[in-house]
Amino acid sequence: MMFFEVLKLLFKKPFTNKFPVKYAPKNTLGLIEKVQKGEVKINPPVDTPPGFRGKLEYDIDECVGCGLCAQVCPSHAIELVKDKNWVIMHCKDGAKLAAPLKIRIYVSRCIFCAQCVDVCPRKCLKMSDEFLLANEDKLAEDLIIPGP
Amino acid sequence: MLTGAFEVIWYIAASFLISLFAIPFGLLTKGIDRKLAAHMQWRVGPPVWQPFWDVKKLFQKETIVPEDAISWLYNAAPILCLASTVTILLYIPLGPFPPILEGHGDVILILYLLTIPSLAMVAGGFASSSPFASVGAQREMVLMMSYEFPLAATVIALVWKISSLYPQEAAFSLTAFARHPIWNIMGPFGIVGAIVLLIVLLLVTTGEITKVPFDIAEAETEIAEGVFVEYSGRNLGLFYLADAVKTVVMSALIVAIFFPYNLSPLLTPNISIPSWGWAIVDFLFFLLKLEIVIFFCMTFIRVSVARFRVDQVVKVYWGYLTLASLLALILIALDVML
Amino acid sequence: MSEHTYSIPVGPLHPAIHEPITLKIDVEGEEIVGVDVFCSQVHRGIEWLGMNRNNPIQNIYLAERVCGICNVCHPFCMVQAVEDASGIYPPERADYIRAIMAELERIHSHLLWAGVAAHEIGFDTVFHYTWALREKVMDLIEYLTGNRVTKAIMMVGGVRRDISEEGKKKIKEGMQYYLEKFAKIEDIYLNDPTIKMRTRDIGVLTREDALRLCAVGPLARASGVPKDVRQDFPYGAYADYGVKAITPDTYNGEIHADVFDRIIVRLLEVKQSVDIIKWAVDNLPSGPILAEKNLVKLKMLLKKAEGEGIGRVEAPRGEDIHYVRLEKGKDPYLSWKIRAPTYNNVLPWIPMLLGGQIADVPIVAASTDPCMSCLNRVTVVDEKGRKYEITKEYMHELSVKKTRRLMRNANRSF
Repeated sequence: MMFFEVLKLLFKKPFTNKFPVKYAPKNTLGLIEKVQKGEVKINPPVDTPPGFRGKLEYDIDECVGCGLCAQVCPSHAIELVKDKNWVIMHCKDGAKLAAPLKIRIYVSRCIFCAQCVDVCPRKCLKMSDEFLLANEDKLAEDLIIPGP
Repeated sequence: MLTGAFEVIWYIAASFLISLFAIPFGLLTKGIDRKLAAHMQWRVGPPVWQPFWDVKKLFQKETIVPEDAISWLYNAAPILCLASTVTILLYIPLGPFPPILEGHGDVILILYLLTIPSLAMVAGGFASSSPFASVGAQREMVLMMSYEFPLAATVIALVWKISSLYPQEAAFSLTAFARHPIWNIMGPFGIVGAIVLLIVLLLVTTGEITKVPFDIAEAETEIAEGVFVEYSGRNLGLFYLADAVKTVVMSALIVAIFFPYNLSPLLTPNISIPSWGWAIVDFLFFLLKLEIVIFFCMTFIRVSVARFRVDQVVKVYWGYLTLASLLALILIALDVML
Repeated sequence: MSEHTYSIPVGPLHPAIHEPITLKIDVEGEEIVGVDVFCSQVHRGIEWLGMNRNNPIQNIYLAERVCGICNVCHPFCMVQAVEDASGIYPPERADYIRAIMAELERIHSHLLWAGVAAHEIGFDTVFHYTWALREKVMDLIEYLTGNRVTKAIMMVGGVRRDISEEGKKKIKEGMQYYLEKFAKIEDIYLNDPTIKMRTRDIGVLTREDALRLCAVGPLARASGVPKDVRQDFPYGAYADYGVKAITPDTYNGEIHADVFDRIIVRLLEVKQSVDIIKWAVDNLPSGPILAEKNLVKLKMLLKKAEGEGIGRVEAPRGEDIHYVRLEKGKDPYLSWKIRAPTYNNVLPWIPMLLGGQIADVPIVAASTDPCMSCLNRVTVVDEKGRKYEITKEYMHELSVKKTRRLMRNANRSF
């Protein structure tokens, strides 16, 4: 019987984690602004574990543009692009050595499988613990890595 | 002639006043119910003011009438439902205030008036020409027929007792209940009988305001809100308000029959404040009683059991509750005879 | 059909069934006198993507998204098939980790199901309560794999993440939590009179019907058919443990084959899963977790591989089968066929619903734990505005033709 159980629960603290605030705000953007100004304190989210798979981090300087990540990406979120700043380094034996390609990651397509992190030979991709990625615009600036 | 005209104007004004009280209070009650239910389910729940935002939103939305619906009946049903529910409140004493239509009707009239909102829902359901609404309307009728008998038995048992003790009173009027609180006039058998009747009436109320486990007519997961499946916008908002007011009506009826006590006779010797002050205190006390009754007949029951099937609902009402009320009737009869 | 009969459409969108499927129900008053099921309201072309666009590595994550809840069993099943075809077998430690993940998923899936079932009969308190208890296993999964739901842990020839000593401790803590809470869950579901009222002798699927309609998983087991892939064809670490299929008579010695029995079976399976996980953590062998660590090399190996393979896994909903055929020199599979458990469990709806009431539809449908996105494989064809359904005869003809073509091709290549 649930009769006694529900009465017990009535005096128990709710199980819900009240993130970010207890009730839905009237104006979400307003709330974010207030939080940034420090006027409102938000309840913290549940901590992410050490191996969490969140938004990708990309070290563009380390990348050699091998394109393996784009090959294994299941959702085709990684695009190979020409590096704007690339320079051909002339080696002593006359060979050209340079990385003419870099990648661009569309986070709105990413499914967070971390397969690109595993395959990267230069270890220049990393999963951060950032997970608040909702946005109205799927091509927003912070959803494309690397940013402009 | 002039007094007649004045009376009519007073009734109209009073109806307005009573809607002004009943609708916001009903919505607030809904909010409290949702909040308490949420806590009993181990979650936070919406703010207490949520029903007000819900109604505001519903009234801003477009009202869609299905193509095959009988549109006049479809649109009239919610208005009829709300209007008839508010009308019942005119016959019920609200704490220290006697009923506005005192002397014009009694408990029997209230019992009949209580069926009108349900009938309006049935009419609206059939008029909306959806198979889900038809099933919902049929279920609503079944439900209505099943709780009628225990409800009538409860009222008659109590009235019998009062009329046997005070033959000079108009026993069927609610003011008689208020003058002679039943707990004071009952013997030991009668007290047991009255407790059984109180439980029966609480369970009948749950069915009357269609909440789990007796919400077969709406049954969200089975027939997608049943009679309301096609309703939207303003019409749905009116049904929502009618539901809120009906909660107040049923709990006020229970309070009027079983707990017609006021705080003022108890406290007057000790504290002295003007009589209008006592009216406010008594009224607030009445509201508190309403909330407590609603907690038991609605919130507490609906969170602790599963929804019944139609045949089980009929079995509960026609079987167990009818038997219980008959048993209570016998107990009260014993009490009258001894 | 008498004149008192009228039909109610349940679905494609209906609060009782959370995914698109249509049930046409003929009712007389409240009683159900006729049921017809129309499947294939969602078709996502997952197999087509696997056969045309993706390489085997990408397919693992595609298989994970066949179903949101069974996101270990589908890739598990698929990598088994690929391993079978290519001969890259996982090391022992990987087998054990796979079993732990599959059982964690079973716990979370069964608790989720129990909550949904309570919601279907209007018992929202139990629904919220069960889901609150489920959070623990979700946190555990998040800790072990990096995300709450999609685990992304399967890889051809092993698993992608190891379980550390810290992880072992956390798993044991979590399992202890469930052992403690199990008594409470059992008390709520099996002793509450209103739940019993709504589920006892409702949606009865006789043993004969279960066998005739090839029901799988808890549905078949609740009808007294001791059918469990982990028991009958053990794979991975289950061969070492020796799973025994749970039928309701292990609980109270009787089989009613109704919805209540399905609740019993699922709850007991939660307990069984807890036992399996504890055993697997205690006996976790040491060693590598991947047969081929270098992904690039693995990809080349799979490209070179040729052959066909079958994977069978006992998903929380029943037996899941993947068939994969690899072709030399091509990345996508030559063919990939998924047979999800719901495919078998939809037909038993008809005998279960007949003679019942409208009020029973949600709970009976939910008692099979249906997953439409797993189920749908064929769709109605709309060719130049001309709509036609593919009949069984036509399908048969097509498959005969295809088999002949495949056989011809096979003969040519050898």
